[in-house]
Amino acid sequence: MATGVLSGKGRIWWIVALVVLCLVPLVLPRFYVYLLSIILLYGLLAMSNNFPLGFGGIYQLHHAVFYGIGAYGTALVITKSGLSPWLAFLIGPLVATALSLVMGLICIRLSKLYFGMLQISLGSLVWAIVYRWYSFTGGDDGIHGISVPDIISSYKGAYYFTLVITGVCLYIMYRILKSPYGSALQGIRDNPVRSAMIGVNVKRHQLLALIIAGFFAGVAGTLFVVVDNTVFPDMMFWTLSMEVVIMCLLGGWLTFMGPMLGAAMIVLIRTFVSTYTVYWALVLGIIFMLVIFFLPNGVLGWIVGLFKGKTNLAEVKE
Amino acid sequence: MKRSILFVAFVVFVMGLAWSQPGHAADTIKVGIVDTYTGPATSFTQDTLDGFKLAVDKINAKGGVLGKKLEYTTRDEKFKPDIGLAMAKELVMKEKVDVLAGTINSGTALAVSDFAKKEKMPFFVFYSKSEKIIGEKGHKYVFNMNENTEMAGRAAAFALAKKPYVKYWIAGDDYEYGHAIAEAVWKNLQKQNPKVQKIGESWWKLGEADFTPYITQIMAAKPDFIIVATGGSGMVNFQKAAKATGLVQKIPFYQHTANELGTLLPQGKDAPEGVWGTSNYFFYYPETPANKAFADDFKKAYNRYPKASAFVGYMTAQFIAEGYKKAGKVNTEAFIKALEGMSLDSPVGPLAIRACDHQLELPTYWGITKKDPKYDFLISGDIQVIAPKDYMPTCQEVLSLRK
Amino acid sequence: MDAIGILNQAFVGLSRTVILFIVSSGLSLILGVLRIPNVAHGSLYMIGAFMAFTLSKLFGGGNLGFWMALIGAPCAVALISLAAERGIFQHLYEREHLMLILLTFAFSLVFGDLVKIIWGGEYKSVPVPYMFQGFVPLFGGLPFPLYNIFLLACGPIIAILLWLLVNKTKIGKIARAAAVDMEMVGAVGINVSWVFASVFVIGCSLAGLGGVLVAPTVSVTLGMDHTLIMEAFLIVIMGGLGNIWGALLGALIFGLTQSMGILVWPQFGIIFPYLAVVVVLLFRPTGLLKSTW
Repeated sequence: MATGVLSGKGRIWWIVALVVLCLVPLVLPRFYVYLLSIILLYGLLAMSNNFPLGFGGIYQLHHAVFYGIGAYGTALVITKSGLSPWLAFLIGPLVATALSLVMGLICIRLSKLYFGMLQISLGSLVWAIVYRWYSFTGGDDGIHGISVPDIISSYKGAYYFTLVITGVCLYIMYRILKSPYGSALQGIRDNPVRSAMIGVNVKRHQLLALIIAGFFAGVAGTLFVVVDNTVFPDMMFWTLSMEVVIMCLLGGWLTFMGPMLGAAMIVLIRTFVSTYTVYWALVLGIIFMLVIFFLPNGVLGWIVGLFKGKTNLAEVKE
Repeated sequence: MKRSILFVAFVVFVMGLAWSQPGHAADTIKVGIVDTYTGPATSFTQDTLDGFKLAVDKINAKGGVLGKKLEYTTRDEKFKPDIGLAMAKELVMKEKVDVLAGTINSGTALAVSDFAKKEKMPFFVFYSKSEKIIGEKGHKYVFNMNENTEMAGRAAAFALAKKPYVKYWIAGDDYEYGHAIAEAVWKNLQKQNPKVQKIGESWWKLGEADFTPYITQIMAAKPDFIIVATGGSGMVNFQKAAKATGLVQKIPFYQHTANELGTLLPQGKDAPEGVWGTSNYFFYYPETPANKAFADDFKKAYNRYPKASAFVGYMTAQFIAEGYKKAGKVNTEAFIKALEGMSLDSPVGPLAIRACDHQLELPTYWGITKKDPKYDFLISGDIQVIAPKDYMPTCQEVLSLRK
Repeated sequence: MDAIGILNQAFVGLSRTVILFIVSSGLSLILGVLRIPNVAHGSLYMIGAFMAFTLSKLFGGGNLGFWMALIGAPCAVALISLAAERGIFQHLYEREHLMLILLTFAFSLVFGDLVKIIWGGEYKSVPVPYMFQGFVPLFGGLPFPLYNIFLLACGPIIAILLWLLVNKTKIGKIARAAAVDMEMVGAVGINVSWVFASVFVIGCSLAGLGGVLVAPTVSVTLGMDHTLIMEAFLIVIMGGLGNIWGALLGALIFGLTQSMGILVWPQFGIIFPYLAVVVVLLFRPTGLLKSTW
């Protein structure tokens, strides 16, 4: 599984893609730079969701909580304490990691849909507290005008920062998946009973997956603060979690880059369909139905399947 | 490996598609509107948009603004502030609008206002009632075209202070708007009538459908008067419950916009009589020819009577047009200067945008719900007009919040 | 607040519980037998409320309007869900579980916008039928609306009817068997496909019924679907999947913790139901009562 991506010919294409993405701000107008930043960070969020979801087989249904908490953590540190924003960028993801550890410990004893529902309940609890604690978090007004260091406060600056961080995170995630731990995790997804029998500590592996996912979600939240300088309680609401799961499913949850593609699709469709009609939710819903019907493995899964005959099996699963 | 090509190719392809759309032609003035057109808020926002449209059509029929056509485009944020902000950015950076307007969602309004300040883009807020927009977070590019919670509170306090009620109960939606309205009313009422006492409070979750337990709790305490701080669909829900439990006959209560068309129309003839409220526009009062003309035009175009939000949309479009006309060119700084202190004729008389804080100075109408044989819905009776000078916070008070 | 006040608070909060129960029982059926988490359930509830508005108006408001709506709206919702099930769902049962969640979510998006297209964005109001207007004085002379009494009566009636359906009728027994072992039921020669369709339609009709019953007490607006769906899911999970009495118990706990929570800690009162769900799941992960999974 997931071999060959960074070897030989594969590597060249990745470098090309990276170069293109670096050149984008120099050729495209501001709006697209902003849009790409948003796509990248939602892509990171979706990929972090897919870590337990697609590769771990865990029903991670309320991932947005970690994203939101990471964002709020960063935002609150910047606006309420005198600490340097760079420190805030570290604290945000750490808060998200801590929360995912706590929630993970509570939820991990359950499996499948029950795990998902308990996570939703706990996550909703966290949301409710943030939403209600008006004096501290600004409640449903959110927090605005969060100041970030000058070097990354322009659209280009924010974009490059997002690109670098996202790239690094994706690379780390990829290496984790390729490591023995990653193989064990996927083994647990495919057959938990057998994995346990050969001595794999199922729960501990799953818990680790949750923590890793939470950390990267927190990073995505921090990136949102850098790009948009605002936070809202909506960022940790269950409807966003559902959207992120859909990004994974749409793009292809058994592939590595699928969720990033899903994120790109949803952001682009939402942005451009809304210039034509108010009913962009209807359009989105119909597109989802079509994908489910005809592309059960998601868009990227389908594309990869197209090449299935031509390349060897090991590369297919990428 | 092929995936990375596909991914980049896909993104570039779509961007190319989108990029090929033109921005806007130089011979138009474009207004970008971000608002919520899905969900319960739609009842109000649709009217705002229709009022806006009505005015734009009239303006263009008379030759437009500075020889250019006035255009607008809308984006539905579905009451989600992060989507609203993204859409505002798209309107400014891709559609290249000249002016932004919106939204009923206070979170979005504040975020977009912040963005507008950075972009030096004029932003007209219609229908968000947060007092922070013009107060704490105010700045020179934002204009508030409707009342905010502080203003509504003061107006209500002005009217209530003269009444004989002493023991008050305060209840409402347990979120920012509810607390803000209640705070504003109570704070100002206490100042104007030191004799009033608060004997209790109840707060229910936003969207609460079953008020009966709260109403029974309140009735047991026997206050003289209840200040009910609900908004949106909570208005109708509470009124229904008040009627079903007989509260409305036992204890008088007040809600901001209780007597407004948006709240009374859906209930038809079943709405409760005897509810006190404040509103900033009625299509049937004052009975001036200008008001009647506006209401008739609106009814002819959209087959319904205009609500307060329609009036706000209508006036916003006109101020935008007149602002550019007075400035003489499509220049933001000149536009803003032209608007400060500008007074226009409206269906209810001359209205002005206050220069110091960019707040539209609206009259407030205090009244009580009452049946009327002419209509299928209740209207406001015993109308008392509260002029802006009697209730609006002073320039000094507002500007001091902006530190 | 004294004892009588608390009693009143509890009693009166029960009427909302009835609505929650009816909607949740439908969701529980679908989840328990078909294993589909129907995210579109809230949309069907909303459609039920809007149809009630249309039907009630069609028949002149008042008593006739209400009863016609009570019968007609769930039927309309049943037709819609039948069309969805036969047209789309039945081809996808063997798909991955998560994909089914996504499918129902897609439906909720589509329904949400369709309701807006058909009925527009204005608030709608369904009047309380004349026979239920007014109130009776209850504990300590405090008023209890007649319509709420009607709701409280509906609750147990529906619960009993459902229990009879599930346990005493042939179709109920087949559905329960299918929930446990689908293949076996098919092997015995029963058309499993129609069993699924029936359960799905009945479950969705319950959502529509809930919508009709709630309509006279609230303003019928877009967005009703979102507020309800999360509560319904939590209730179903708390009560045990596929278990009707579980849905009732869950709805009771949910409704009561919410109304009592607000008395105890007004600012954070909405947390209590979520807390209750968390506590229940920690001690009984499959729900309070027996689940069919």
